Formats: sequence, structure tokens, C-alpha cells
Amino acid sequence: MDFRPLTEIERRNLATALRGNADGNRVLLLDRRDTSFAGTADDVPDDEVIHAIKSVPCHY
Amino acid sequence: MIRLTDLTRAAVAEAWAFAERLAGPPPGPPEPAPGPPVSVRRLRRVVLTDAVGRTLFGEYAAHRATDRGQEETGWVLLGRREEERAVVLATLPAGADRDAGEAHVRFNADAQALASRIVRQQDRRLTMLGVVHTHPGRLRHPSRGDYDGDRRWVPALRGGDGVFGIGTAAGEELPPAPNVQMWEGLRFDWYSLAAGDASYSPLLVELTLGPDLAADLRAAWPVIEAHAARLDRLARQLPTVRFAAADNGELAVTLPLAAAGQSVRVLAGLKTVRLYYEAAGEVFQPDLPAGVAPDQALYLLLAELAARG
Repeated sequence: MDFRPLTEIERRNLATALRGNADGNRVLLLDRRDTSFAGTADDVPDDEVIHAIKSVPCHY
Repeated sequence: MIRLTDLTRAAVAEAWAFAERLAGPPPGPPEPAPGPPVSVRRLRRVVLTDAVGRTLFGEYAAHRATDRGQEETGWVLLGRREEERAVVLATLPAGADRDAGEAHVRFNADAQALASRIVRQQDRRLTMLGVVHTHPGRLRHPSRGDYDGDRRWVPALRGGDGVFGIGTAAGEELPPAPNVQMWEGLRFDWYSLAAGDASYSPLLVELTLGPDLAADLRAAWPVIEAHAARLDRLARQLPTVRFAAADNGELAVTLPLAAAGQSVRVLAGLKTVRLYYEAAGEVFQPDLPAGVAPDQALYLLLAELAARG
């Protein structure tokens, strides 16, 4: 089991997500393998962004 | 086999402090107040932060002053897609390795993809919003060729519509329209296009205070372009790897290891790669073979550590 301390960004993201869950009933996502925090439903998957970037057409 | 060489304590402290500065979290935008999830409707406006606006006008002016100034150039826009508006929070440049001429531009998408991973370390809600590109003449509207590509591309975007900016020299002063920005002889005209649209629609543009979250990457952009494919593959293979750019043009690549307090860090320059390994409060700088690539350096150390059990 990994007891690595959260980085500042991870801590900030988790705190924001917990606040959103408590105040606005926003969904928290958990990793099914180890129940670690896996983001929120508002997160955009990497693949979606990178697919959009790599498919930008030539412009004229 | 690579050899781990102890550095003097002073050198270690200096090197590690430098690397820590590189990997530290850059200042991000203020966190928005949590609220209920929003549904995405047709775009009604695009909001640029003041820093994004400065980037676009500043880099467009700088581009025009270069020996490639007659070529078209452009930027990818990242930000938040809200109910009826797009808030642009980051710009990713076309890059020196773009394919461009006086009548076309194709961005260096590999570098932009890696840069998007770096920017989105701060906020995974950032998404692709659209693109800006320039025209060398006075065509202040996307061309027919732009439309043919963009109409097939916008279904890949959240909401099925995108933001499109056209940069031109301002020329004669015209009364500004709600979809036009003008500054120092340059202008950007803003449009939206949704799947199924017969043409682009003028898009109201507004400014707000805020950062360009990709501004810090500019100094390291040549390194990002040089190693984009390798480092993007590394990020897919090792999802806990993190990146940070430095003012001196280096890119820091950090991988926390399974054991507490252990990590590997690579500082990649255009022609240099340095490797650091931290364990039990000590820092080591392994010797590397000449010409090793950043991801190769990291894997060499992982293999060495595995061999040592």
C-alpha cells in the first residue's frame, strides 16, 4: 500500500472535489482497484483532449 | 550498467532545490465555487483572460517580425466549456516545427498534445475549445478550406461546437464589432461553428482577469517539440509521471517511486539530459551514456534499481 503524501496539486484537487461533494452533491470518482481518489465527473479524459488536438485540421 | 555517483552535499542541495522549483505547482486560476453540473448548449460567447489576450497579440506581433512572418501561424485554445460560453485559460502555439506557408498552417500536434498533459496537471477540467490562426492578407473570416476541415472536426469537441479566431493586420480602423478585438495594428475576429452549420457565426468576445496557464511552457517549448513523442508515450505508460517547465528552457520529468521518499527526476534540455535519484533523504546523480533520451534515462535507472532488488 502506498502511503505517499499527496502533492500540492493533488491535495488541492481532492479538497476542491470534497467541497463540491459536500456542498453541491458532485460525484467523486474512486479507482475501483484501490478506492483512491480518481477525480470528479467534471474532469475531461486525457484521451478526449489529445484526440481533439491531434485531429485539428490544416487551416488555410 | 549505469553508475550512481554521490554528489557533494552542497551540490545535491543545490540541484535538488533547483529541481524542486521546477516541479513545484505553478500558480493556477482561483478555484471556481462548486455548483451543480451544467448542461452544454450552443456557444454564445468566448471569454479570454487578459493573459491569454496578451499572449495572442504579443506572439502574433513577434511572429510577424521573424523571417517566417509571412507564414500563417496559430494556437490551440484550452479552457472550460460552460453552459453557453467558452472560457479560454491556456494557449498552445503552433510551434517551430509547424507545417506552414502563406496560405496554410498545420500545427505541431505532438508538442501541443504533450503540452496539454502538462497544463492539465493543474486542472483536469480543461478541455479543447478551438483554434486561432492567422491570415496574411485581409480575409477576416475563415476560408472555405477552413470550413471543410472544421465542420468535420467540431464533433470531437464538447458541445459539438468550437471557437475559431482569425488574426489579421488591422489596416484601416473600423468600428469594432462585438466579435472583434483590435490592438497595436492587429486584430482577431471570433467565430463559432457547430456540426451541421452551413457557415461560421460571429461570436461575442469578452475579457476577464486571469492567467494563461501555458505561459510558463514557452521557454521550454523547443524541448517539448524535440521530445514530444517520447515524453507523451512515457506519460501514457507511467501515469504518475509529472512535468514542469523552467525559465532556463529545461523540462523536468518526475516519477515518484513505490517506496516512500523515493523518486526519479530527469532534467531535459535541447542537448542535455541530467538524471537525479532521491532515496532516504539522499540524492544521487547517475552517470548516463552519451546521447541518451530523457525517457531512456528514466527507464535505465528503473532497470538498474530493479536489478539491485
